[in-house]
Amino acid sequence: MAESKYVKSKIFFEEEFEEKLAEVPTDPKGPWPANDNLKIIGKPVSRIDGYDKVSGTAVYTFDINLPRMAQARILRSAVPHAKIKKIDTGKAESLPGVLGILSSNNAQEIKWFNTSSLFDTHLRYQGDEIACVVAESEAIALKALKLIKIEFDELPFTVDAKEAMGEKAPKIYDEGNIQGGKPFEYARGDVDKAFQEADAIVEDTFDTQVAIHNPTEVHCSVVNWDGDDLTVWDSTQAIYGVRDTVADALKMPASKVRIIKKYMGGGFGSKLECGKYTVMAALLARKIGRPVRIVVDRKEMNLAVGNRPNSVQKLKLAASKDGTLTAISHYSYGAIGGYEGGAGCSWPARQMYKCDNVKVEEYSVFTNTGPTRPFRAPGYPQGIFALDSAIDMLAEKIRMNPLEFRMKNNAEKHPMWNAPFTSKLLKEAYEQGAKAIGWDKRNNQPGADKGPVKKGMGMASQIWWGGGGPPSHAVLKLNRDGSARVIAGTQDLGTGTYTFMAQIVHEVLDIPMDKIEVILGDTAVGPYCPSSGGSTTAPSVSPAVRDAAENMKIKLLEAAAAQLESEKKNLVYVNGLISDTSNPEKKIDIPGLMGKMGEQTITTTGSREANPEGYITQTFGAQFAKVEVDTLTGKIKVNKIVAAHDIGRVLNRKTLDNQFHGGIMQGLSYALMEEQIVDINTGKVVNTNLHDYKIPIIADIPEIEVIIVSEADPMNSNTGVKGCGEPAIIPTAAAIANAVYNAIGVRIKSLPMTPDKVLMALNQA
Amino acid sequence: MSPKDISRRKFIKNLGGGVVGAGVAIQTLSAKTRKESKPPSKSDSAVALTFTVNKKPITLLVEPESTLADVLRNDLKLTGTKVVCNHGECGACTVLLDGRAVYSCHMLALDAQGKSVTTIEGLMDGEKLHPVQEAFVEHDGLQCGFCTPGQVMAAEAILIKNPKPGKEEIIEGMSGNLCRCAAYPNILKSAVAAAEKLNKS
Amino acid sequence: MQFSYIQPTSIEEVFKLGSAAPLYAGGTDLIGLMKDDIIKTDKVINIKKLKGLDKIEDKGNKGIEIGPLVKIADLIENETIQEKCPLLVQTAKEIASPQLRNMGTVGGNICQRPRCWYYRGDFDCIRKGGDTCYAVGGENKYHCIIGGGPCFIVHPSDLAVALLALDAKIEITSENGQKTVPVNDFFILPEDDETKENILEPGEIVTKIILPEQAKGFKTTYIKFKERSSWDFAVVSVAAVLKTDGNMIKNGKLAFGGVAPHPWMEAEINQKLTGLNTDEASVDAFTSSLFHNAEPMEKNEYKVILARNLVKRIIDNLA
Repeated sequence: MAESKYVKSKIFFEEEFEEKLAEVPTDPKGPWPANDNLKIIGKPVSRIDGYDKVSGTAVYTFDINLPRMAQARILRSAVPHAKIKKIDTGKAESLPGVLGILSSNNAQEIKWFNTSSLFDTHLRYQGDEIACVVAESEAIALKALKLIKIEFDELPFTVDAKEAMGEKAPKIYDEGNIQGGKPFEYARGDVDKAFQEADAIVEDTFDTQVAIHNPTEVHCSVVNWDGDDLTVWDSTQAIYGVRDTVADALKMPASKVRIIKKYMGGGFGSKLECGKYTVMAALLARKIGRPVRIVVDRKEMNLAVGNRPNSVQKLKLAASKDGTLTAISHYSYGAIGGYEGGAGCSWPARQMYKCDNVKVEEYSVFTNTGPTRPFRAPGYPQGIFALDSAIDMLAEKIRMNPLEFRMKNNAEKHPMWNAPFTSKLLKEAYEQGAKAIGWDKRNNQPGADKGPVKKGMGMASQIWWGGGGPPSHAVLKLNRDGSARVIAGTQDLGTGTYTFMAQIVHEVLDIPMDKIEVILGDTAVGPYCPSSGGSTTAPSVSPAVRDAAENMKIKLLEAAAAQLESEKKNLVYVNGLISDTSNPEKKIDIPGLMGKMGEQTITTTGSREANPEGYITQTFGAQFAKVEVDTLTGKIKVNKIVAAHDIGRVLNRKTLDNQFHGGIMQGLSYALMEEQIVDINTGKVVNTNLHDYKIPIIADIPEIEVIIVSEADPMNSNTGVKGCGEPAIIPTAAAIANAVYNAIGVRIKSLPMTPDKVLMALNQA
Repeated sequence: MSPKDISRRKFIKNLGGGVVGAGVAIQTLSAKTRKESKPPSKSDSAVALTFTVNKKPITLLVEPESTLADVLRNDLKLTGTKVVCNHGECGACTVLLDGRAVYSCHMLALDAQGKSVTTIEGLMDGEKLHPVQEAFVEHDGLQCGFCTPGQVMAAEAILIKNPKPGKEEIIEGMSGNLCRCAAYPNILKSAVAAAEKLNKS
Repeated sequence: MQFSYIQPTSIEEVFKLGSAAPLYAGGTDLIGLMKDDIIKTDKVINIKKLKGLDKIEDKGNKGIEIGPLVKIADLIENETIQEKCPLLVQTAKEIASPQLRNMGTVGGNICQRPRCWYYRGDFDCIRKGGDTCYAVGGENKYHCIIGGGPCFIVHPSDLAVALLALDAKIEITSENGQKTVPVNDFFILPEDDETKENILEPGEIVTKIILPEQAKGFKTTYIKFKERSSWDFAVVSVAAVLKTDGNMIKNGKLAFGGVAPHPWMEAEINQKLTGLNTDEASVDAFTSSLFHNAEPMEKNEYKVILARNLVKRIIDNLA
């Protein structure tokens, strides 16, 4: 039987490497062959949870209804900056049906963020939490919120990062509005010298908007105490993360907190953290001795549960005549709202291309706006939009095809650490993507099309992490009837985790798909898996599942040897049948073997291997866009996107294509439509609903072609899988922006590229 | 490595492991202290609503301000109908009212008086999926699945009106339903396939 | 929201109920306004069951009468309208989404409240009885370029724009009787009353929309420019009714949505259409004269260009 060991392993998550002690297997299972030689891996397989979702029987956290369950809602600040003097809950408390109210009046001091608490009397943005009411119904809770009287001193506010960085701006913290007191800086080579020696230089400023995740299922929790045991159903991407935060906040052992999430209506990063609401609900449930459901409504979703921060990026790039990228200078700032966060977007500038001289200076600035949270590839869509727009400008300046320019500056080793990659097929992505879009037919002369509707083609590159790593575990149980149950403490956000786990068990053990049950999203039963962010779920979890399945096969062969009285070395496992090569009479299938067992079930565990020392695992790709721009209206229509990516092995072609469609459409939305708009005079958000916060509808889709240039990354893990959720969104906006320039000959340097901006740019050009 | 002063990642990590509660006193409540008010009951203003839901006649008392979605989800426990925006801006709550697609979050339950409502649960034949539902599974017309019941009902409404819709008609007919996962290409494929499937059978 | 629900079956009953409660037809606007506490009321009068207000009747040379309770979807499907007034069908198809067209009514569409995000949001704006128009110096990308002040909304109705170009009339009934007004006189500017968009007084109900018999030989179209491909309000829209003769526009009308606090038509613009040559130079000269008197705000100057370009597109397409 396989043994395990503990190692320190590095894993990249969201923004940085972290080293974790992790249990890993001592007997790595070796790589799989190419997908063509596998039975079900890589094939288009329908979701095993599809039935639940189309039938309406899937129960989401939002749908949970426990006996005697009460309903909680939160009162939030209506102003961007204030200090509470007094909270009067008297009227609200006397409203029939109100069961309890928590606020700074009566709540225990629970630290939240580094500088704040669960109920802070210093309100730092419109939407900051003031009080929480629990009542017999949501309607009563909402009514009670209106009866709470708040006396407060309004403070001067600042909602603009540039203004907030200035000396005269109102200070949100005594130490000043620049987080950490100084910018993040990075440098390699000698940028000044490179600019002096350059043949061509481009310099420009790009800006990107605040974007809101707006998953369809609002953030919500249902909590229930059973003695000192707390069960929380939460719409979360991180059951273990929520467990730890709740346990720490309530000063109770993590083992007493159970987090359950079976189905969730999207997250995109906004549900990577535990929300205050969950802790408030737990406190109130304790207080009233009843289960409590708490929901954050759509308006609150648009104010208070995170965003992709805005960015202003000043880029300066240099090249030599032969097309070598010789220098990148990246200066940026962005608003992170009233609490700790990050508005960094320089990762692409630091590592997308081979470039010897790079300098980065970026500021995360406190403002009286909503908080940031990781949003599908935090920092990258904005960073690539600016960088790859500037790359196109530079290529044009030295009269080089932008595709050729990118090929020429492809980094063979990681440009920051000079380390080799476990795999990198970016050149293949460039080549295959260019071929599929018909890059050779691109306009040579931007804006040359006759007539008011002009067509163009553009491209952009993608880099991201997505290698995953340990610790990540799975448990596999084989039942007496030959059915299997695989259990892991990960979560399926709609990404297809349930399905690929079943596929892996089928691939290894030939158990029919309809006899494989997958249990996810429950800290009480699932062994630890990481949060589902950073495109790490499939690359972390899939090898653990395969390890468990291979370990099961080893056990089954041992059991069969005993049952058949054969030598283990003579036994083979083919299509779910174990047979003795030395004696064709001796064979047994899995249900037959299980029927002989005294213990009814066999259980194995599996773990993710350590990441290889000294290597970097990243995902790569390129997207190509065909657009048409109506110069009479300024409207950009995307006709086609070709996405060519290196994301390691494909586990399920059907759900993979869907992930790419979704990422690309969110990228298109980011490029053309969605934007949170804050009224500068009042510091309040003007668009807090799904009509004014515009996202695309079905009529906005272009033709999308997804090309996966990679077979597998066997150095990374036994499945060779890299993540794909975030790679999909990263280059879309930049590719569209470059295509727009190619169509009209005017560069739009501000996202979203809404018709008003395009029309004004055309008329000022 | 690049030490950022406070990065997002660190922040998440901190939240994961470092939130300090200062003196959170949790006492176990005895049964006596449990807060219990009267269970929610209908007020005097409640009005009788008689309508048909998924072919079953139903009469119940509803508050005038209750939306149809409220009644379906809370009173009838038909939670397949989702509420996402609660403002008639997304389509997740789409049900059929006398065979036409409507937003159940954005109409009063009393507007269904005497009418026939079909929800996602009503499309099923026992445990068997409706052909439109089957098409959404087969063509993966979903990701997280939260908007899916509304998408399926919108597709069904198109097919009720015209069993042989063209692609443009399907796109227009599905334009009242947002999907933030943006599984739109497969949603379209599913709706087109459903139309084809129904025409074959 | 919390209210009682009253369901009269005749218009007389409505009048007896007094004038304080909002009338509820399709509800697609009212429900949102009540949920957002913009309209606070303790009762709602459901007028869905009022008899005779949900019909479309062809009155021959007296035109077509459209009941205010006709659903938008039914207007689109109506054969009389399809045959005699394709402009209205084209316009109605542009409204909102399929679900909202199944729910919303013709009367509700023309009487809907503005979509201005300050009006709809947590801002005590002038239209809600406050003393500030937050769009001034604020986020005014979608606001009006003409006819504004002290409030700068645009009127959101698509149908109203087409009805204006079609010379439609609106019949209003109250306890005191009936009156019929041209669409142009139905809507008002904020300078007359910044808290409402039309002349309706409490106790008055729109009971008919009357489309006059359309003269023969006119080409019509409605262009609605929206940011999303469908299910969006107009940034700028134009309804056109034009008669052409070779390279000449004999006469016609242009009505605009999205530019002003009410659907906008200018006699001066329509006069200039008469005899307009459709060669590029003449059309350019004509379109660049449009909205020369506009007063765009900081963020909506593009609407002037957009309105001109849409007219250019219409003339290119129709003539």
